[in-house]
Amino acid sequence: MTTKTPRRTESYAYWYLAFVPLFAVLTLVEFYPLYEGIKLSLTGSSGGLSLSNYAQMLTDPAFFSAVGVSLAYTAGSTVLCIAIGLGLTFLVTQKVRGRSYFEAIYMFPLALSPIVAGVLWSPSSVWDDIQTFSHFILHQPYFNELAFSFYFPVMIISEAWEWAPLIMLVALSVVNSQSSQVFEAAELHGASPWQRFSMVALPGILRSPVMQFIIVLRMIDAMRAFEVPLAWANWVGYQEALGSPVDTISLFLYKLLFVPLYSFPIGLISAVAVALLVVTLVVAFALIRLMGRALSISGGR
Amino acid sequence: MKPKERRMPPLGTLLTYVLLIVAAFYSFWPILTMALEGYGIDLSPLFSGKAVRSVGGVPYYSGGIFPTPIFYLDAIRLGQFPKLLANTTTFAAVAIAVALAAGVIAAYALARPPIRGKGAISYLLLALRAVSPFAVVVPLYVNFTRNGLWDTYVGVGLAEDIVVLSVVVWMLRGFFTDIPREIYDAAAVFGATEGQIFRRVALRMVIPGIIVTGLFAWVLIWNDFVISEIMTGPAVKSVSVGVWSGLGDYGIKNVNFDDLNAGGFLAWIPAIAVMLAIRKYLAKGYSLGTASSKS
Repeated sequence: MTTKTPRRTESYAYWYLAFVPLFAVLTLVEFYPLYEGIKLSLTGSSGGLSLSNYAQMLTDPAFFSAVGVSLAYTAGSTVLCIAIGLGLTFLVTQKVRGRSYFEAIYMFPLALSPIVAGVLWSPSSVWDDIQTFSHFILHQPYFNELAFSFYFPVMIISEAWEWAPLIMLVALSVVNSQSSQVFEAAELHGASPWQRFSMVALPGILRSPVMQFIIVLRMIDAMRAFEVPLAWANWVGYQEALGSPVDTISLFLYKLLFVPLYSFPIGLISAVAVALLVVTLVVAFALIRLMGRALSISGGR
Repeated sequence: MKPKERRMPPLGTLLTYVLLIVAAFYSFWPILTMALEGYGIDLSPLFSGKAVRSVGGVPYYSGGIFPTPIFYLDAIRLGQFPKLLANTTTFAAVAIAVALAAGVIAAYALARPPIRGKGAISYLLLALRAVSPFAVVVPLYVNFTRNGLWDTYVGVGLAEDIVVLSVVVWMLRGFFTDIPREIYDAAAVFGATEGQIFRRVALRMVIPGIIVTGLFAWVLIWNDFVISEIMTGPAVKSVSVGVWSGLGDYGIKNVNFDDLNAGGFLAWIPAIAVMLAIRKYLAKGYSLGTASSKS
């Protein structure tokens, strides 16, 4: 601000033209489809303006089941994701040789398409080995992979497994921007590696707006989780049934859209899409407030 | 037996290495399982002496270690993996070209000139990042099937911009704001017009940033499933959809689990290669340019 030369603000007005291409694309792929979606959701079967689609949605127990599944899935996977991500951060901030290689290995799951994460942790892939190990070495009975109490936690683990490296990457970027003198002081005073992490680094990580922002983003993305539940719908045989215990809101939508049995109820589909939009935007509102703080700290102007 | 450690007691160091290796195992073991299953290698026999695979909760004995490249060859030849790769690359190129063409100048306008309403536009883009692709892609699907854009490179490319456009603009905005203010001021002092400052100073300085942004957008599109599952048909099927829903033109659910694993592993390799290449900037990319890129 101090070096700012006096300028007339009107000479900058032509910069608004810079947003024209952006808004052209946004109109095509975001605004117009959103408008059309809302219009479709408000069109009744007779063609006139009607709230019947919303009434149908709100009287459908399958919809509320999907909302509940989404909420449980979001809560579980976000908490586990943060815990694993911070654990990985603790490990790679230790003074050991080859930490850069370990960091690279920990990033592996992040590069997978989420649908493949649903395949990896499936009963015939990773759990096949675990089953065998627990049965033949630990002499445990087989666990039932079709039981809700088994597969729902596994879905949550798959989601957390894939996105924990993201928490690690962001936490590391926060740790790297913290002053190294503080860590040296803590070490001089005899703090153990765990104390240095939990009492010096961790409060800074959790308090940093960037970290809070990424956690909210993760929650939004988990709220609309689709790929892992879709894979598991196949493993546990819920490819078509609505309101199954694996149906998140997105999967509920997808089934309405593509299972021929439901004869493509576009009004209802649009109503659910709008509901999902509203839910995510409410979370986004909190996100926007956090983002304002993130910007003021990370050097944005 | 061991030489004296300077920084840590040996036990602590040992424990750290053990934990590091356990965590590494946890990170790559499922991927390794996938890679090996793709070769027809089922590690279960190592644990039991017999191979067991449970299907529908009922264990049945199968698998074992029968290494064969057949499933990878299936994925590549029969499953037309190269065609899927070409499809994804083509529509990703369309999406990234559109996003950069519209995004670079907008990101600069958000970062530099003192104009009103920048905050509102930034927040609007942020809100769009939070909008579920599903909310947008359903009407877009209806729309594109009507006017023939469904299952075309241009149509899918435009649809992928739902995912990448706001990320691209925010990330580039971060790169523009990282340029020290003094450089802009110096250019202005030497008499550069605003247009010249953009073209000759700012744009040249963010070329590496533009490349990183493009690569990051490519990873997002490569791994995207929601949009390509809905917007692609047999003609431009993407890698992630191909891996999941049956490779190639068959359009039926892949029944062969080994093929699925082989395809999944093949799809992972380019993504991790690009990610490791731009690893310094990943935190920045995922946090929409707000994290510092120091590493």
